[in-house]
Amino acid sequence: MNPEPFLQLDRVIHEKGRLAIMSMLAASPELSFTELRDALTMTDGNLTTHIRALQQEGYVAVAKSYRKNRPLTTCSLTPAGRKAFAEYINLLEQIVRQNKAK
Amino acid sequence: METNWAAEHLQTIRTLMERSAVYRRALAPIMLFAGLTGLAAMGLGLCLDINSGRGFCGLWLGSAVVAATGAFLLARRQAIKDHEPFWSPPTRRVAQALLPPLLAGLCLGLLLMVFGHGIELAVSLLWILFYGCALHAAGFFMPRGIKCFGWFFILSACGLFYAFMLHWFDFEVNPHELMGFFFGVLHLTYGAYLYLTEKGKNAV
Repeated sequence: MNPEPFLQLDRVIHEKGRLAIMSMLAASPELSFTELRDALTMTDGNLTTHIRALQQEGYVAVAKSYRKNRPLTTCSLTPAGRKAFAEYINLLEQIVRQNKAK
Repeated sequence: METNWAAEHLQTIRTLMERSAVYRRALAPIMLFAGLTGLAAMGLGLCLDINSGRGFCGLWLGSAVVAATGAFLLARRQAIKDHEPFWSPPTRRVAQALLPPLLAGLCLGLLLMVFGHGIELAVSLLWILFYGCALHAAGFFMPRGIKCFGWFFILSACGLFYAFMLHWFDFEVNPHELMGFFFGVLHLTYGAYLYLTEKGKNAV
């Protein structure tokens, strides 16, 4: 098997928790912190750590606002994040094709 | 290295993306249109004094068809405007969730149209109940407010059913007014609320 596509996989996205966050954000314009936490059954701390890592990489934008006097944190993919996610999917598909061809 | 890990990863991604995609398309215009249709049906029922079981069911089933057609066209127009497929997975899931309770309501209405007489109030409450169940089921794939809206219909229908059975009200309730309130006024109010609160998130 050609190991090249595997080596090109984005290590930041490849982690299970971060991949789940990126997948959910890729299908929605934005999701609140609570929606993400409930859907992925993650703890607040775990989710915060992953989001921070994605934010530092420039893949996720975090916006803080207020709704009905309560703080609301919403996350969305940045254009860079969308591009990185699309590349990650392309590489995965490439690996699947390689495996099938074997 | 596992040979199919990449395929499993892709499947997980697909599942998560489908779960995350919530139906949001043209909700406010659909609610407003449904509300206006409900009010128009109430007005027609009261003005034309439609009191027979057959007339009552015909009028309200007709208005349901108008509201459903309008909702379909509004959602389709929004999909075309956004260059998105109309029959997307969230749309499909919402339609599948809505169908069983609405079908049950339709069968009940048709049955009353043929055999029923003098039970318009009970049928109105059952329609409200079925519609609430439909909204609640669809609410799993829509913004959370829809589920609450469905609960309001369900609880109101159950409460009113007991209230009427136990004669808590000492005044006559016109079934057209009851239907007009739930399918007209409430939809208009919710539509207006969505217009004011949603930030143009009409994409699926």
